[in-house]
Amino acid sequence: MELSRRNFLKSGVAAATAMAVGIPISRIASVAAAETEQDWRWDKGVCRFCGVGCGIMIATQDGKIVATKGDPDAPVNRGLNCVKGYFNGKILYGKDRLTQPLMRMTDGRFDKKGKFAPVTWDQAFDEMAIQFKKAYEEKGPTGIGVIGSGQWLIQEGYAMTKLMKAGFRSNNIDPNARNCMASAVAAFMQVFGIDEPPGNYDDIEYTDTVVAWGANMAEAHPVLWQRVIDRRLGHADMKVVNITTLRNMTSEGSDLEIIIKPNTDTALLNYLAREIIHRDEVNQAFVDAHCVFCAGPTDIGYGMRATDKFAFEAEKDIQAREIEVTLTRDEAIGLGLDPEQVHTIKQANAATADRHWLVGFEDFKTGVEPYTLDFVAELAKGDAEESLDAFKAKLVRLADLYADPKRKMVSFWTMGFNQHVRGTWVNEQIYSVHLLLGKIAEPGNSPFSLTGQPSACGTAREVGTFSHRLPADMVVNIAKHRDITEQTWKLPPKTLNPKPGSHITKIMRDLEDGSMSWVWVQVNNPFQHVANANHWLKAARENDNFIVVSDAYPSISAKVADLILPVAMIFEKWGGYGNAERRTQLWREQVPPPGEARSDLWQILEFSKRITLAEVWKDQAIPGLKDEGFEEGKLPDVMASAQEMGYQPEMTLYEALFETPENKAFAWPDPVAKGHDNHTVKHLGVDWFVEKALFEEYAAFGRGHHHDLAPFDVYYQDDVRGLRWPVVDGKETPWRFNAKYDPYVKNGEIEFYGGAMKELVTGNLTGPTTEEKTKFPGKAKIFFRPYAAPVESPDGNYDLWLCTGRLLEHWHTGTMTRRVPELHRAMPAAVLDMNEKDAEERGLKRQDTVWIESRRGKIKAVIETTGRNRPPRGYSFMAFFDESVFVNKLCIDATCPISKEEDFKKTAIKIYKV
Amino acid sequence: MCRTHPSEPSAFITSGDSPIMTTRRSFIQKSIQGAAVATSGGMLWSYLAIQNARAEPSALRPPGALPDADFNALCIKCGRCVVACPYNTLTLAALADRAPLGTPYFEPRQIPCYLCHDIPCKAACPTGALSPTLDEVMDSRMGLAFIDTEHCLSWQGLRCEICYRVCPLRDQAIRVETRRRELSKHAMLLPMVLSEGCTGCGICENACPTEIAAIKVLPAELIQGKIGDHFRMGWTQAGGATSDPEPGETWKGQLDSAKDQGHAPGLDYLNAPEY
Repeated sequence: MELSRRNFLKSGVAAATAMAVGIPISRIASVAAAETEQDWRWDKGVCRFCGVGCGIMIATQDGKIVATKGDPDAPVNRGLNCVKGYFNGKILYGKDRLTQPLMRMTDGRFDKKGKFAPVTWDQAFDEMAIQFKKAYEEKGPTGIGVIGSGQWLIQEGYAMTKLMKAGFRSNNIDPNARNCMASAVAAFMQVFGIDEPPGNYDDIEYTDTVVAWGANMAEAHPVLWQRVIDRRLGHADMKVVNITTLRNMTSEGSDLEIIIKPNTDTALLNYLAREIIHRDEVNQAFVDAHCVFCAGPTDIGYGMRATDKFAFEAEKDIQAREIEVTLTRDEAIGLGLDPEQVHTIKQANAATADRHWLVGFEDFKTGVEPYTLDFVAELAKGDAEESLDAFKAKLVRLADLYADPKRKMVSFWTMGFNQHVRGTWVNEQIYSVHLLLGKIAEPGNSPFSLTGQPSACGTAREVGTFSHRLPADMVVNIAKHRDITEQTWKLPPKTLNPKPGSHITKIMRDLEDGSMSWVWVQVNNPFQHVANANHWLKAARENDNFIVVSDAYPSISAKVADLILPVAMIFEKWGGYGNAERRTQLWREQVPPPGEARSDLWQILEFSKRITLAEVWKDQAIPGLKDEGFEEGKLPDVMASAQEMGYQPEMTLYEALFETPENKAFAWPDPVAKGHDNHTVKHLGVDWFVEKALFEEYAAFGRGHHHDLAPFDVYYQDDVRGLRWPVVDGKETPWRFNAKYDPYVKNGEIEFYGGAMKELVTGNLTGPTTEEKTKFPGKAKIFFRPYAAPVESPDGNYDLWLCTGRLLEHWHTGTMTRRVPELHRAMPAAVLDMNEKDAEERGLKRQDTVWIESRRGKIKAVIETTGRNRPPRGYSFMAFFDESVFVNKLCIDATCPISKEEDFKKTAIKIYKV
Repeated sequence: MCRTHPSEPSAFITSGDSPIMTTRRSFIQKSIQGAAVATSGGMLWSYLAIQNARAEPSALRPPGALPDADFNALCIKCGRCVVACPYNTLTLAALADRAPLGTPYFEPRQIPCYLCHDIPCKAACPTGALSPTLDEVMDSRMGLAFIDTEHCLSWQGLRCEICYRVCPLRDQAIRVETRRRELSKHAMLLPMVLSEGCTGCGICENACPTEIAAIKVLPAELIQGKIGDHFRMGWTQAGGATSDPEPGETWKGQLDSAKDQGHAPGLDYLNAPEY
């Protein structure tokens, strides 16, 4: 802030006086500061970063953020923040903030090979529309795509979903959340029939045990970790367990550290299930009343392409495993097969990996029977320097904790489970353990999937910005869900496309094979965060396509784009986020966006003005579409029925989808604003409250359907710090599925009322044996899932594991946190953490610069042997925030075949000195 | 084709001119400094003359530097250590700098010592002012870190501990202690310096994210206290466990030894009839 001349003189006098009489300068300064702060406006907000969802307070003056603080009234964080959160106020003010649209130009015209030059918004949208229409006319709805975000505001994600699905009739919209918690979602849907956790953060204060599975909470969920540690300090029986593939900061707050080999978590969970059964600790009454048992196919591949046409030469051996694989000895044992025989398996269920059927408890018992202590300890022990006996003792200790009927258990997990070629399975298995014990849906007993991003739940999942989803847990390939959505959105029947679209990795593959040629990226940096980046960078720059990136800073994605749209950041717009415990939090615009920067929502709405109904609601080719009531490979022309509903062919999508009479009824200005501005509305030149209208339109999907949000204005009340949905009769729901806390439970004390996939055929571990379907409403599923080896493991050539992840200091790809000088100074570059002995063996020392090479590329980095992460022999770790150490050029783009989430944790590499 | 950002941070990150950074307080401090310089011109040269006659005690020397008197005697101000440093950490002191004119020193908030395992600065020293007997860089003692707990984010309850995370001797030079915060259900994770392990490299000071570093490195003698030799901390002595003895055992040892007590000093005086 600028000091006024008068204040300057005053403070100068005060300082001189202070010098003379010996008053500490700090006291004078604090008096002066208090005077300045009188004019600050404080308002509540939410931290921009992780899924914990800390509340913050923001002070503004003259259109700038002058300070922030942790919100003392926020139940999540009670005034605290982590060091990223401490810098919320600074992320808006990086030196190279983008403030005008930039397009690749030669001689005043767009040229894919040209250099970026400033253009007007009109020029930008004109070219964007020309390129859109070119791709759309040529390839149809499947030829265009949107890569969105778990950092999208609720309204942004909703508007883009509506534009894509209702307007462009394309399901090729997918958020970066795909690579964050899609495996968690798939498991929630398969196990409970409804997304998101039964419990909440308060479980920490009620429990006796926290087990972190593949979750470095100390760094990735910093403020939540303080609650775990506080419980440990204050509750004598509290035990904390860290199950991990390397020693990390979370180990330091743990009573028990279990270092396992990659992917063996699936075996470890089966050992626990087997122990629970053998110790006779199954909560039989709970299981009988509330659970069924299930199994699914195991020949499901690894989510890679079925062809090696685009693979680098070095990738082809791994690529071939997508077609056929020979089981390892351990896999054979884990499937109950003879390990002395060779078992070669065709990946017959790669496209139907999510199939599952009912089995009996005896089948489940048979399934987990091979997972003895001896087998699992031998398979899973991750630290070569630990004795087998010591490791076994740890596994027994873990089983003791889980199986103790008196002990309350919270299991936390995040990317170690989710970014996993069997991510959905391992998520399901942890539920199996909790369900067998009945330790779920009550205070202190909680299997809890931590999310990475601030609105992975609130936007990506609840709004349904995935390629297969619709709002409120609905999906595009169920006719009833499409009907409900079409009615809510006032669309002609059969406007919506029943064929799921391309998930994020597939959007990249589509760009590479040319089947997609127009992509819009918002609120994320996919060309840095998607694995196997060399392919996608080349596809973006060298193929005939048009890539639009909306971003606040020049990211790698912006760099390979054709058009860059400058965005308003978090507190420069009205918005909302939903955190991991179902807490929805909304905030007001605090400061105006700089220069020509505009909100993502404004960009979506403005672009929708350039497309008419006639261009999109005609008949459309959708290759591969097969669905009841649809001609094969086609979406029908719905213009005629649209006209009956009052739509005209020349109407724009903006008019049809957004500026509806219902939405226009929400007037701007609105008293809830309390004097705060709205630049989305201002730049649109309208008099309706866009963010409120879209929030209420979206909320209608969930109200009365297990996903109730409170009215928009309620979230802005001074006494509200976010509310955990479902919010029914003005009350939030802390624990779901439990009649004591959840008004949706209608039958008995516990009811898993989620409705998806609650009718199945019956069979045994190898497949269905009947065609007759059984319904089991209100029940959760206990899955048997076997151990599966990683798709790629170290060998004689690529001889080290590489795992990627986050650090406390930086957010994701660093586009924001690397603009904060203090954070950049604290952690300027990513390093490769490795074991000192592995380094020595290769003639390397700490601080040496090395080449790191995988089948997909090579990068240079400095090695660190004494860092915060201490990998066991054979293992290494590197964070992904640093674009100059571009770790995703190395990583394999294999995914969980069910969730389509990439496995960033298991790439084989070799390293050698530069 | 996809070239990365220039690795120089100044090429793309903000400078210190954002609205938060220019607080009134730093403004005031700057005015005072300006005033001091303006009003004390007469004293300035004499001050510098004195300063250069002895070692400025706050200067941090390269790894292996001998104690000040020996160092100053041996250092020929050749600058070879400065040239040898791959990180440009070292500077030869100019007239108004912390250290005597021409001698090497470093300011960790600018560039810390990265503790090269081959210690190239020491290897380059022709006189032994940087001790040739230092083999392990982790044994060097350039200074000692200390934490201003009033301004340390972690000590206020925030999750930072960056000093601990970046410390090349984590748990030997800096450890983290957990404490309940009492104000809420969040524990505090408090970094603490362990002088036994701290090399004084200053990587912590460099990385500290507060506006003015809340962890700083200075020569140990400027900041380190000392407990009198007449007292020993019982629980740190060999065999001196602090666990409570079993009931009944408590004073057994003392009682037994009391029986054997012989002639005690002072008894003669006390028993003497005169008073």
